[in-house]
Amino acid sequence: MELTDADLVARVLVDDDQHAFGELVRRHQSTVRGLLRQLTRTDLALADDLAQETFLRAYKNIRGFRGEARFSTWLYRIAYNCFREDARRRKEFVGVDEEQLQAEHDPQVVDSALRHDLMHALSLLPLHERSAVLLCCQNGLSHDEASRVLGIPLGTVKTNVLRGREKLKRTLAEWGPN
Amino acid sequence: MDEISEEDQLDRQLREAAPYIDDNGFTACVLQQLPAPRRTRRSFRGAILLATALLASALAYIASDGGRFLIVAMERLVALPTVWLFAFALGSGLLVMTAGAIAAIAKVSEWHP
Repeated sequence: MELTDADLVARVLVDDDQHAFGELVRRHQSTVRGLLRQLTRTDLALADDLAQETFLRAYKNIRGFRGEARFSTWLYRIAYNCFREDARRRKEFVGVDEEQLQAEHDPQVVDSALRHDLMHALSLLPLHERSAVLLCCQNGLSHDEASRVLGIPLGTVKTNVLRGREKLKRTLAEWGPN
Repeated sequence: MDEISEEDQLDRQLREAAPYIDDNGFTACVLQQLPAPRRTRRSFRGAILLATALLASALAYIASDGGRFLIVAMERLVALPTVWLFAFALGSGLLVMTAGAIAAIAKVSEWHP
């Protein structure tokens, strides 16, 4: 029988079992790295550095995981914090991501070769909408869970998801078959 | 209705568009950077627990006049009618089972809220 995340966390807590933690990393590395790749706009090296930082922080602070949320949600929260701190350090983090909003309306930016590319459309969304859409639509978190991960009010998450979805639909419709 | 199915379709497309990222040594790299595991002295911990249990037992034995209360309780128990004895055993069993079930449910809900 396969051990649940909770079983593995318990092993790490009680026995400091690094093999159990390794299994947790193996299980969640793809989604965490995928999320960070989207947040960093496909900067693979930076995303992987942040993913490593995420798991190291998770290990060091695993006693802080009280099982109130899913382990993956807890990890996303750490990953998002790592991303935000790094962006602040790089002074690239702006709440509204205005540069990207402008880029969205610039037809030059939309490479015709990338038509129907949903991930590209996603990367054009402003950061706050992109994060909400990634967590709720792609990773299946509830609005409430996403609100905790992003540290923003529930209503804001709902609005961001709604707006993000609308923009995605519009972008995809524009790229649709002529 | 169409709105909802459109949203579902978009979510599904988003999930499908996210490729699985192969580990390619990522996990090994993370594990290499972990701090050295704590030396858990499990045997030492066990020895402390055993010693404490033995000490507590010895104290209880002395305090109860050589465990005399146990003999008295057993004598009373043996003297009970069979029906009462059966009811007592059944009641005790149910009590322990209920406590175990409550503890198990509490544990499960703690890990899977």
